[in-house]
Amino acid sequence: MSVYLREYLTVVWFGVAALAIGGLLLGLAALVRPSKPSYDKGIAYESGVDPVGIGWSQSQIRYYVFALLFVIFDVEAVFLFPWAANVERYGTFGLVVMLVFIVLLLDGLVYAWKRGLLRWV
Amino acid sequence: MLAVNFLLLGAALFCIGVYGVIARRNAVMVLMSIELILNAVSLNFVAFALMSGAIDGQVFALYVIAVAAAEVGVGLAMVLMIYRNRKSIALDELSEMKG
Amino acid sequence: MIASLLAQAGDWTSPSIDWAALAPEIVLAIGVNIILLLDLQLAETKKWAIATITGFVLLGSFVAVVVLAVTGDGARSLFDGRYVVDDYALILKALFLLAAYVVVLLSQTELEEGGYYQGEFYVLLVCSVLGMVMMASARDLVSIFVALELLSIPAYMMAAWNKRNRKSNEAGIKYYLLGVFASAVLLYGMSLLFGATGSTKLTDIGAALLDGDLIGLDVVAVVFVVCGFAFKISAVPFHQWAPDTYEGAPTPVTAFFSVATKAAGFVALMSVVFIAFPGADGVYQPLIWVMAALTMTFGNVLALRQTNIVRMLAYSSVSQGGFILMPLAFAGEPGVGPAALNAVIVYLIAYAFMNLGAFAVVIAVTRKTRSGEISSFGGLFSYAPGLAVAMTIFFASLAGIPPLAGWFAKFNAFKAVLDAGTTAAYVLAAIAAVNTVIAAAYYMRVLRVVWMDEAPDGDTSPVKSPAPVVAALAITVLGTIVLGVLPNLIARAGAIDALTGAFAG
Repeated sequence: MSVYLREYLTVVWFGVAALAIGGLLLGLAALVRPSKPSYDKGIAYESGVDPVGIGWSQSQIRYYVFALLFVIFDVEAVFLFPWAANVERYGTFGLVVMLVFIVLLLDGLVYAWKRGLLRWV
Repeated sequence: MLAVNFLLLGAALFCIGVYGVIARRNAVMVLMSIELILNAVSLNFVAFALMSGAIDGQVFALYVIAVAAAEVGVGLAMVLMIYRNRKSIALDELSEMKG
Repeated sequence: MIASLLAQAGDWTSPSIDWAALAPEIVLAIGVNIILLLDLQLAETKKWAIATITGFVLLGSFVAVVVLAVTGDGARSLFDGRYVVDDYALILKALFLLAAYVVVLLSQTELEEGGYYQGEFYVLLVCSVLGMVMMASARDLVSIFVALELLSIPAYMMAAWNKRNRKSNEAGIKYYLLGVFASAVLLYGMSLLFGATGSTKLTDIGAALLDGDLIGLDVVAVVFVVCGFAFKISAVPFHQWAPDTYEGAPTPVTAFFSVATKAAGFVALMSVVFIAFPGADGVYQPLIWVMAALTMTFGNVLALRQTNIVRMLAYSSVSQGGFILMPLAFAGEPGVGPAALNAVIVYLIAYAFMNLGAFAVVIAVTRKTRSGEISSFGGLFSYAPGLAVAMTIFFASLAGIPPLAGWFAKFNAFKAVLDAGTTAAYVLAAIAAVNTVIAAAYYMRVLRVVWMDEAPDGDTSPVKSPAPVVAALAITVLGTIVLGVLPNLIARAGAIDALTGAFAG
């Protein structure tokens, strides 16, 4: 067995131990507790909300625009990380380049805002 | 070697993605399959960068991630537009033009 | 990942950037922002100004390119040779800007009258052109990829611009799905290429592939990359999106796709083939040979049976793509490389003028007839002799009749192929010759309708073309004739020494 796979052996032992302990405790509890199922015990607990409709309900399309804007601005942050982790070294040049990048992104945000995409109508 | 496993995973993801693009008729599913291919690409780049020690692969992976987000944004908008006009996003029903 | 990024950033010094060499790109980038913000501020009645401003932005960038070309002394290399402004790049940048300008002229009235005018159209157009201008200089897999996406993503939206039209929707989604799939395949090829050679810089990849025998990984990488670009240039068997997208998209956008986007695909393919793949000519040459032969044959045969003029032009542009691809099938043969590069660039320039012109005529005529059927062009000569003559010039040029630009381009392409002197070259040249005859048949069929037939509904009121369309027609007619009569103007375009780092095998 290669070293690489042997490292995964630890994970396997962890899994076995977790199953064993969990199973043991639940099994013990099942042995000693009385079992009297009734309808009331099966329904949602006090503050729980009863599910309405089917599971595949549609969500509001309005979320789409916000989700999209979030994803795009969020992902563009990948370019900020390598710069931010080492700001001093990149100095003025890095700062200017990043400012240009951020201004271009802001442009997009201004556009979305002016076109009313940020309003919840 | 460790990186070879990543490459195998990348190849598997690529194949699943291509299968999805060819076999699925729901536009959103096709988009997701394309994302799988792009993930395979990112994984490949990072794995190769790990093997060769050249940083370019990791930089390329960052670009792939960012561009994939932009692409999906446009794609979903387009699917939405199609849905508004046709009330369906099944790709095989798109046949206005022939010949 | 971040940690290793930091480790290698240790010896980082700020790069010295030749800002003058980037002037065309900077003008376009600033222009995009100006147009975007102005469009938000302008009142609905003043929206016409956006098209004019777009024209000025493109013009400003064009001036920068010309100044660089006139004052430039040799290639300017930026970012360690990953972004190069040489004569090859400059002439293609000029071509993209000119094509975009003609498209702006054509779209001005078309979009407004179609009732789907929006200022964002011009923002996207300029973004796309910026991508193309970058593509001409990109000499690194990363910059090629970013340029390709920058030019494609706005193009997907432009194809679907007529939002309420089902055909336009379909055009957009088909172009989008196949385009994104193609770039995903291309990227996978690029990742393998990076793995095989350990670099993303084209010159380094070229050196690594020349060094020693090719292994399986190299072969797969080269095939994937070439196939990825084949989608962009709509080469058969990767052409299925082209006819539908061309027919469904607004006609000026179609003109843009068939000329500018396709040229950008060829530019990327050429940069890769000539700089990175000289060591892999045994892999890409047969592939391109087969694609070129299939592309011109399928395009032509399908164009023969079309009754819609835009769809016919779509298939014709597929088949013209085969002719442009033809010399690249022998780019690696000893001594053929320079001729092949020159032939492709000359063809791209000539093709841009004649194809844009053909679409300009179609736009001018369909403004009146409101029909895309070829039969609706009947009697055009009787009521619009100017348009009929212009159409004849463009179609004759597309068919390759001397002394027009298309003839010189075809002649050059044939010459480059015959230079190779192998059996494969003679076979491909024979296929191309047969195809030239087939193509002439359907171009002449349209011209016969234009000159001989009666107007279908007897409506012979003259066509009034708006000034921008007339200007576009003037530019393209002039280009088509001048390049045909004085081919020396572009005969030297794309000499091999203009492409920095190319291996003149």
